Amino acid sequence: MRNTDRLAHNAFFYAIFAPALIIILFLTTYPIGTILRDSFYEYDFIRGTRFFVGFDNYRHIIGEELFQRSFQNTVIFTFAASFLEVFLGVLIAFLLYGEFRGKRAASLVIIFPMIISTMVICAIWQIFYHYEIGLFNYLLGLVGAGPVGWLTDRQMALFSVILVDIWQWTPFAFLIIQAGMGSIPRELFEAARIDGARSSQIAFRITLPILSGQILLVLMLRTLDTFRLFDKVYALTGGGPANSTQTLSFFIYREGFSFFNFGRASAASVITLFFVAFLALFYVRKLLREDD
Amino acid sequence: MRRTCLVLVVLILCAAAVFAGGKREEGVTTLTIAGRDGAFGTAMDLATQEYTRQNPNVRFEILKLSGAELMEQTVIELRGGTGAFDVLLVDDPFLPRIQDAGWLVNLDDLYREQGLEIDPDLVENMVNVGRYPYPSGDLYALPHVGNVALFAYRHDIASRYGYSAIDTWSDVLDIARRIDAEGDDTVPVLFRGVQGNPIVTGFLPIFWAFGADILVDGKPAFDTPEALAAVEFFLELAEYAPAGVTAYQATQVRDALLSGAGAMAIEVWPGWIGDLENPEQSDVVGKVSIAAHPGQVKGSSSMIGAWMVGIPRDSRNIDAAFDFIQYLTSAPVQEMMADKTGIPPTRHSVHHIPRLQEKYPWYPAQLAGQISGSVRPRTDYWPQIETVFGDYLQRALVGEVSAQEALQQIQRRVTEVLR
Repeated sequence: MRNTDRLAHNAFFYAIFAPALIIILFLTTYPIGTILRDSFYEYDFIRGTRFFVGFDNYRHIIGEELFQRSFQNTVIFTFAASFLEVFLGVLIAFLLYGEFRGKRAASLVIIFPMIISTMVICAIWQIFYHYEIGLFNYLLGLVGAGPVGWLTDRQMALFSVILVDIWQWTPFAFLIIQAGMGSIPRELFEAARIDGARSSQIAFRITLPILSGQILLVLMLRTLDTFRLFDKVYALTGGGPANSTQTLSFFIYREGFSFFNFGRASAASVITLFFVAFLALFYVRKLLREDD
Repeated sequence: MRRTCLVLVVLILCAAAVFAGGKREEGVTTLTIAGRDGAFGTAMDLATQEYTRQNPNVRFEILKLSGAELMEQTVIELRGGTGAFDVLLVDDPFLPRIQDAGWLVNLDDLYREQGLEIDPDLVENMVNVGRYPYPSGDLYALPHVGNVALFAYRHDIASRYGYSAIDTWSDVLDIARRIDAEGDDTVPVLFRGVQGNPIVTGFLPIFWAFGADILVDGKPAFDTPEALAAVEFFLELAEYAPAGVTAYQATQVRDALLSGAGAMAIEVWPGWIGDLENPEQSDVVGKVSIAAHPGQVKGSSSMIGAWMVGIPRDSRNIDAAFDFIQYLTSAPVQEMMADKTGIPPTRHSVHHIPRLQEKYPWYPAQLAGQISGSVRPRTDYWPQIETVFGDYLQRALVGEVSAQEALQQIQRRVTEVLR
């Protein structure tokens, strides 16, 4: 290709690419820039007053017990939910591997929770968890155990929210892993069997290493999503009891939309963004290494 | 050909954009109401339908939002000055915050301009809730829903223990203990235990009755012997509440009361108990007394939780909106809304209608509460104070901190908020 042709080709490429790039850059950098700026102000949204306070918002928030607890809860939720979802997703994908009667129906049933609205799911689980009339306490009663305060006991509440998330999002992990398993040539397994490999060896030495890219991908997607947990806390516990299910997103919501204190909400958002970016970077690096 | 098609498509799109709003009817005013969901929304539907029937040139668009959504939408729209709302429902503790920003129309001015006066039939104490500064400044909102917190108890159970009426919180504790000691299935005490607004709202009548206060001369007053006595009493009383009370919301309290599962509710609102005397919905017809809250070291302290109706300053239909809010708070409309939806009126005359008194036997207590009830502190920082108060109160309730520690923390945190 001649130089002029190459230049024309590149110019055309950049010309069609530029509008999308500008819009994407604007839609991502402008809000982040605004939040970053507001985080250094005491910003009362109702009055519209803004005073520069430097790092005061950050210092106060980080020193607050509620923020520390929200952060701790978010980290516990993120790692517990995402790792268990991926583990169970892999397990179910292994169980449903191969052709058998009813596989399609089973897959449909498994992915069902993922397609229901989170608010509906929370309403259903709230009934399951009800202290007096809930299904779980009824079942515990049948085996002679005492009732559990699923959403009212501060030792249990976060675990109960994690359980709902696992129920809803394990199917997502299952779908991605199942797609990955479907792309592995069957001959590979047949050859391993001919060579005398046991099922566990095939699973751990062949299948899982091949699926590691998919597993990392789904782990990243679930980690980033669970780190922003808000809806389930809002609908199931409202952050209680005694702040035991407070999360960073809920903290930000409260500062922003209950108190309209946008400076503090922005500072908390920047801290959250920092951690999400750190996690994303970690996973992306791992994924890129996998690709190499 | 291609170019012609392109030009044609662009022309069609432009025309569609221009007429996207639909054909405007000549002389028709559309009022947009930012309102509440549930029974409040149903009541607003009834009122607006009737108003349109009488004034065919006025139509309505009603946004039915939850309390939190309404607050968010209100702030975002009014701050933007878009003029999107013509009529606005405001929860009374939020009114000073809104008016501090100067977002509502001065109704006193409108009354003066039109040669009108505020109808003295509206309960004066409720009208004053709409004044800024409270209680004697200019009027910015009219009382639409006359909510006051009341106390509910099963008089058949109370009389079993020799109480013909419950006068003090000590009586409440005594009855709760005796119900519990008898091993009765009935839950002695019900309240909303969810952290934040619900638990604080339920607790405030006890707090006030013990002589405590939230702010004294604008400074937090949580770390006082009166406040400590109130919280310790509350924790003692909570031992007789259901095990899952920290998740109890209005629905759970109402259901337990209507099904006969609960003996006393330390906080009920008129909107919750509309079906109390309806045999199709209630198992306790004629067995529950609804009264003003008991007193303790101080007399009964009912809490006002009114919903006010005002006009945003940026509304483009201020005159029409003013006419509508007067209609909305008029006696016939309050009577209709009370009858059909259970919405508590804010007028003396409507409280005295025999048919309504028969349907809602708590009307005398409700009116008394409106006349003498207290409002929550008028401060811009009420949401923060309520959140801190509710968080630590619930932490004390679940045993994470003692009453003393909770109050010290509330005092410290609220002082920081107010600073």
